[in-house]
Amino acid sequence: MTPALRLPFVPEPVFRQMAAMLVTLALWQLAAMGLAGRYMLAGPVEVVQHILQNYGLLSRALWVTFQNAAWGFVAGNLAAIGLALIVALVPQTRMLVAALALVVFCLPLVATGPILRVLYGPGPGPQITLAALAVYYTTFIPLLVGLRAAPASWFDLIRLYGRGAWTVFVQVRVMASLPYLLAGLQIAAPAAFLGAMVGEFTGADRGIGVLALRAMRGLDVEATWAIALIAAAVSMLAYGAIGRITRTKADTQPEMLMAVKPEPSAQLVSARVFRIVMLVALTAALVIALWWALMEIFALNRFFAKRPDDVWRYLVTAPTAQANRAVLWAATSASLEYLIPGYLAGLALGVAGALALTLAPALGSGVLPVAIALRSVPIVTTAPLIVLALGRGAAGTITIVAVMTFFPALVACLQGLRQTPGQVLDVMRLYATNPVTRLWYAQIPAMLPAFFAAARLSVPAAILAITVAEWLATGRGLGALMALTASTSDYNLLWSAIVVVTLGACIGYGLVSMVERAVLVRVAPEQLRN
Amino acid sequence: MTQFDLSRRHLLAMGLGGVGAYALGSRGLMAQQNQVALQLSWLHSVQFAGSYIADERGFWESRGLSVRLDAGGPNAPVEPPVVTGTALVGISAADYTAAAVQQGAPFRIIGVAMQNNPFAIASLPDNPVNTPQDLEGKRIGMPLANMPVLRTLATLNNVDIDAIEVIPTQYDAAPLVAGEVDCLLCWSTDLPVAMFVRGIDSVTMLMADFGYTLHSQTYIATEDSIANRRAELVALMAGEVAGWNAYREDLDAATDLTLARFPDAGLDRPTQIEQARRQVPLMFSDLTDAQGFGWFTEETVARNIETLALLDMPVEPELWDRSILEEVHG
Repeated sequence: MTPALRLPFVPEPVFRQMAAMLVTLALWQLAAMGLAGRYMLAGPVEVVQHILQNYGLLSRALWVTFQNAAWGFVAGNLAAIGLALIVALVPQTRMLVAALALVVFCLPLVATGPILRVLYGPGPGPQITLAALAVYYTTFIPLLVGLRAAPASWFDLIRLYGRGAWTVFVQVRVMASLPYLLAGLQIAAPAAFLGAMVGEFTGADRGIGVLALRAMRGLDVEATWAIALIAAAVSMLAYGAIGRITRTKADTQPEMLMAVKPEPSAQLVSARVFRIVMLVALTAALVIALWWALMEIFALNRFFAKRPDDVWRYLVTAPTAQANRAVLWAATSASLEYLIPGYLAGLALGVAGALALTLAPALGSGVLPVAIALRSVPIVTTAPLIVLALGRGAAGTITIVAVMTFFPALVACLQGLRQTPGQVLDVMRLYATNPVTRLWYAQIPAMLPAFFAAARLSVPAAILAITVAEWLATGRGLGALMALTASTSDYNLLWSAIVVVTLGACIGYGLVSMVERAVLVRVAPEQLRN
Repeated sequence: MTQFDLSRRHLLAMGLGGVGAYALGSRGLMAQQNQVALQLSWLHSVQFAGSYIADERGFWESRGLSVRLDAGGPNAPVEPPVVTGTALVGISAADYTAAAVQQGAPFRIIGVAMQNNPFAIASLPDNPVNTPQDLEGKRIGMPLANMPVLRTLATLNNVDIDAIEVIPTQYDAAPLVAGEVDCLLCWSTDLPVAMFVRGIDSVTMLMADFGYTLHSQTYIATEDSIANRRAELVALMAGEVAGWNAYREDLDAATDLTLARFPDAGLDRPTQIEQARRQVPLMFSDLTDAQGFGWFTEETVARNIETLALLDMPVEPELWDRSILEEVHG
């Protein structure tokens, strides 16, 4: 950007962002013109026209969905705060509560939606609950870290004044956790909107999700893209607004932590393995007990509310168990076939993007807003569009999963790269180390903890992406299998699929944690210490 | 700035409107009416216009019934709310009901809104599918969940199923328009209508014309309701019958009512009126002209059972219970 090109009174970053936006819009319009008549893509001109013509309808729908998302946002975050307080007050429960929270977070939306609808009956109940479920985990995890993120000297100071645990809690821990809470809330905002939209698919009179469905089935590309744009804009505005509050209200801005740091390692490997096995067994037992107890307490009808023993019979002891397992396995492997490449590609691109931005920082101001924008577009609107553009085969589905993993990885890696100790970089600069070597020996190792945190949290996100794509667009794999229940009433299959998906997500999360530990032991052992 | 103020005032007005609607709603509840619910199988649209007419013109109110119409959707359960009693009646389909009964749901079909099954094969005129035989060598787009439907059509018409290439798609006409597939398995009343409204000519082959006999949009209720809540069931079905008869007499009025009742559902008149027209021949037949809306006979039931057997869903004729309709029309 030469100074001669600059407009008066427009600061350079704003100018660059505007330029990036204009280029994006122009490319978009050109693509739409190129694809005219194929009912795939509407250009910005048509989209704006549609919005202006349907202003009343769209704003009313948006208001409905926004309200549900907001209630879900409040409920989910209150739940996250409650869970974090339990952990803060009774630290022994930490791993168990975190594990349970993970299991609930991994429940597939496609399957929980209709079940919630049956429980609530008509009304906004499922919309609000799905929004709450979509947000609580990403708030809970940073809070867990935040409640412990206070220097030891503060605790000493309070003790010196003869105050007790309560004062420590209120004056130190709660205060220290506030920036982390705000960081969590920021990620939560777009997720809440997505949850509310998916909730509308379970039977609602109005809302953005209802309009999206109508548009997709009616070959109404202008409406489809207008809705995708509006949903993205709302999500971005919420993200930006909370970011602004964070900057004005919080003195310090923490790194955006997307997952708990790994537990400090026990001395012996065998002791650690034992602890993990115990934790898994305890979590599984608790989940099964809760599942059973809730269904019995609410006296849910066995026709659709299958108990753990129903699933056991269906998968293990029934005469058709083998065939049942075969059906589930076929669908699972069909999903994995696209899930794994998409997940890995998303992570790799995220890392590559972050490294490229570090080597050429000028790109950053243009790319980051676009990255945040794309991350905020609800997957339910993008999945069918991407499939439409890239086809129903591997390319489309893998892209959807990759998109879902790419942005968290990119953002986390950029933050991680910034954590590189300044002294190390200074020394390297002093020796005129070239930037690539600097990256390899100093910055990448510093980036890895944040990268792995994102990689872990991306496991459930990638599974959400693939099941939504399969359900709404490609009609294969586990997502389609779960949606199939609507026509077959085969709730044994649905609950078994929920178990498989949830278990799969937790196993994936565990595998990533193992790789993380193996890598961090070599490059960042300080992360594994207390 | 002006625009911002405008939108804020707009939002405020909408909020007040919401309060008003709420107050009206609760006044409706205060009247001495039996409140029941009818679970619809899809989003609100002209597909259920007969029910809206029944509600607006007081066909239920005059029978001492107040019916809440619960919207469906792509991820909405229809059968479970009926099993649990959230809804007194649900709008299902013979195959969905048969599957639910296999899973232990105590259902009976008490009326049939669509005498003819709406499943169709839609294709484009330059590469048309006019008969099931035309399917051989073609790429068909459909959710894999509908494989049994395609297999049954193939069996009924001696078509080699292996000669048809199935491309998994979800419910969307774009793959056909974009040339990804040669034809689609869909309802004759939705994707072909979407194409029609956009000015895309299409060929629709109704599967019911080729032996795929299956009642659709069937009214289901539990055995328990049929035994213990007969009066309400009769009143509900009587309102439905009156509503759908009124629908047939004036499709324009039915469409306008639907649009007026659901201004926020994103419905457009061209699509809705076309859908309203196309579902008439599916819902009304010589049989309903003679016996009344929703009717079925031992013979139509027997043909349904044959199709269901091909779909691997053996059912007994007792799944259909005409006693409620007999009271309505009797």
